Amino acid sequence: MPELLEVRDVVAGYGRGPAILTGTSLTVRPGQVQCIIGPNGAGKSTLLKAISGLLPVRSGEIRFEGERIDGLRPDQILRKGICFVPQERALFPRMSVRENLRMGGYVIDDKKVLESRIEEVLRQFPILRERAHQRAGTMSGGQQQMLAMARTLIVKPKIVMLDEPSLGLAPKIVQQMFEIMHMLKDRGMTVILVEQNAIMGLNNSTWGAVLDLGKTLFEGPAQEVLADPRIKELYLGKAKAAA
Amino acid sequence: MAVQQLDVDNVIEARREYNAGLAAESKGKRVWQFPVLLLLVLALFPILQVTDGYNYVLHLMLYTFMYVAMASSWNILGGYTGYISLGHNVFFCIGGYFSGMILAYFGVSTLITAPLAGLAAAAVGFVIGSVTLKMRGPTFIISSIALLMVARILFDNWHFVGGSNGITLPQLHLDAQWMKVPYYYAFLLIAALTVWTSYKIKHSKFGLGLRAISQDEVKAESAGINTRFYKVAAFAISAFFVGMAGAVWGEYLTYIRPNIFLVILVAANLVLMCILGGKGTVAGPIVGAILLIAFNELSVVYLGSSELNILGTGVVMLLALMFFPTGIIGTLAAKKKLPRFLDWD
Amino acid sequence: MSNVIQIVILGLALGGVYALMASGLTLIFGVMRIVNLAHPVLIIAGAFVTFWLFRLYGVDPILAMPVAAIALFCVGVILYKLIFEKEAASAKYSEMTVLLTFAVAMIFDGLLGWLFTNTQRVTTPSYATDAIFIGDVFIPTGQLYAGVASLVVIGLLLLFLQYTRFGYAIRATTQNRAAAQLMGVNVGLVSLITFGIGIGLAGAAGSLVSFIFSFFPAKHWEWIAILMSLVVLGGMGKLGGVIAGSLILSVIAAFVGAYIGSTWSTMTFFLALFVILLVRPQGLFGDKIEEA
Repeated sequence: MPELLEVRDVVAGYGRGPAILTGTSLTVRPGQVQCIIGPNGAGKSTLLKAISGLLPVRSGEIRFEGERIDGLRPDQILRKGICFVPQERALFPRMSVRENLRMGGYVIDDKKVLESRIEEVLRQFPILRERAHQRAGTMSGGQQQMLAMARTLIVKPKIVMLDEPSLGLAPKIVQQMFEIMHMLKDRGMTVILVEQNAIMGLNNSTWGAVLDLGKTLFEGPAQEVLADPRIKELYLGKAKAAA
Repeated sequence: MAVQQLDVDNVIEARREYNAGLAAESKGKRVWQFPVLLLLVLALFPILQVTDGYNYVLHLMLYTFMYVAMASSWNILGGYTGYISLGHNVFFCIGGYFSGMILAYFGVSTLITAPLAGLAAAAVGFVIGSVTLKMRGPTFIISSIALLMVARILFDNWHFVGGSNGITLPQLHLDAQWMKVPYYYAFLLIAALTVWTSYKIKHSKFGLGLRAISQDEVKAESAGINTRFYKVAAFAISAFFVGMAGAVWGEYLTYIRPNIFLVILVAANLVLMCILGGKGTVAGPIVGAILLIAFNELSVVYLGSSELNILGTGVVMLLALMFFPTGIIGTLAAKKKLPRFLDWD
Repeated sequence: MSNVIQIVILGLALGGVYALMASGLTLIFGVMRIVNLAHPVLIIAGAFVTFWLFRLYGVDPILAMPVAAIALFCVGVILYKLIFEKEAASAKYSEMTVLLTFAVAMIFDGLLGWLFTNTQRVTTPSYATDAIFIGDVFIPTGQLYAGVASLVVIGLLLLFLQYTRFGYAIRATTQNRAAAQLMGVNVGLVSLITFGIGIGLAGAAGSLVSFIFSFFPAKHWEWIAILMSLVVLGGMGKLGGVIAGSLILSVIAAFVGAYIGSTWSTMTFFLALFVILLVRPQGLFGDKIEEA
């Protein structure tokens, strides 16, 4: 039985620039919330971009359910069942909330299925229903993030990758985002979460991995990673001092 | 103690050698002999006129000098700062009309008033530049085309300067044999001056600032470069030499008319020469001008119609952009195969 | 009063045609950030298709629109595949693409001039010289039909963009290319088809141009600046903006032409361009939500 997602020795970088990922490996098992932590510039976002197909992989391989997906276009990877919510939230600023949801289901061919799923999302997120006709670009940061995450419910992917959903949001709103994340997990999605705030990220996850200098350094159950003295010293020190 | 002393000597010696090497390299890099020699040969060339019969060659050469001057001038803006102007012939026109009108009304030769025409073009360039250079990227290019169209409408309808028919200018009283020689020297001088200025700018702090703008204008600005002033100054300087060229060109043709200055093919030629030779290099526009004029002459001789000439120019431009976007000089330099005598950067 | 009504109607009719001429330009810029300087010369290519259909087979210019559109669609697809595919992939504006389109413009200019010579041409369907009188208001039917036909085509385009799945994909790619990819849009395909549609619209516009203006290959340089000013005015890449801008400016230009002189009516577009660029660089109808 192949793993859900296997990243092996992936090297990737931007344009002709140096490699940001220098041989990263990662295994994702179904039903997890896998948190990737690491300092700024460690390559966390780059890893998610490489998996989603936005960034070409220079060497190494990425397998999804045993099948190689590196080298596929982002739209093909989405159709396989991996959905990526980038830091910038990937909304269409001049489209209404409803149109954004419709775009979220672009790969769904059956119009009825699409409409019923949009309805489902709007039922779950009354704020979005209230603002269904508002342009997405005019909403607050928290609402935009909510829309971006809720939108993944429409395609019902097997894996959803969240790149710093808490970025730039007030603490109260951040808690809401994690609640939405747990909801996605309860719907049967496996979550890959990249978090700057390592303690908060790990506390909301089942599995943790530490990425630095483009390589995976540690991996294990989230609570163990959190408790590991080495990790504490290297990567959690600041956060602890702040807390 | 003695051992330590030895080490210090060694280090000092090594440093001295290293410095000497650096000095030799930088000296070797700047080949001034070739340009000076070239200039000398070109300056002596008209002596051949004594034997008569070189008028056509002379014409082609002065035509090439003019385009060398204009392309190098365009390069100061388009090559160094990356602001592509497709309306630079507006300054060609301003220079031509400025000196041309003085010649027509007061009889003062454009050979004398050309620097003034350059200043007039630079002044207009400064004013226009302070407006249009507020725009970046595509809007600047669009504004430059619009500028050309505006100038065309204005000059076509300006009765004082003869409207679209233009005006005729008096000729010099010389034998046909020597007719072209003064203009030959004028254009040679303008071309040499432009290339020298272009070289000086490239190797100055000002030039560094201009190139920083082409890399990343926002960063250049935050690094303390007054980008607004730099751009406008580059625009004015690049208008100056084009204006000078225009002044002499009008007298050489013996008439000024909007459709000799304000056709987009002139602007296209400037851009293409720089791309072909190597945008942003000193020698690029020269190489580009020579090649393109040779190409144009051959295509007129063998293909005849000007439509085919436009078609051919377009094809050359397309191929150059697709396969040698850094031009001949740029491509050779990247492969480290650039002959020393062309390495002026 | 009837004079004013007449000028407004003529301005609107001409504005409709300008809107159609500029719509493809703005569509292509929106999706690919390509400033297509070759657009006007391709409009003239469309006019030539129409001209020969009319001359050889007596096909009505308005009925020839779909033929010209399809022919130019194919030209667009070929140009995209040969030249712009790599540039479009970066989806960032670069001076390189402008220069490429400039070269393409010269190629078509030279090619059409060589094939058909640079003489003035015009198609002459019967309505091109007719006029309708409503009271004192005099309306040349040619311009009226051209304006209406333009608005119909633009209407179809808007419906396509607003309500079809592919239209959604085009709009999404315009607003946020990476996001569109992540939603499952094959942006490469979208770019290809959009480029084709944009050039196809140029072809359709060419059919109308063939009987309301006289045309010759080198004429496109005049149009570049006019169409570009409309695109900038509308807010680079925003179709609604370009349509509104075309209608407004054309009406103003019609008044300038009627009361000051026809030479100066063209100037209206350029002056508007400079004023807009100075006062509101994002365009009359542009907004600042978008970061690109």
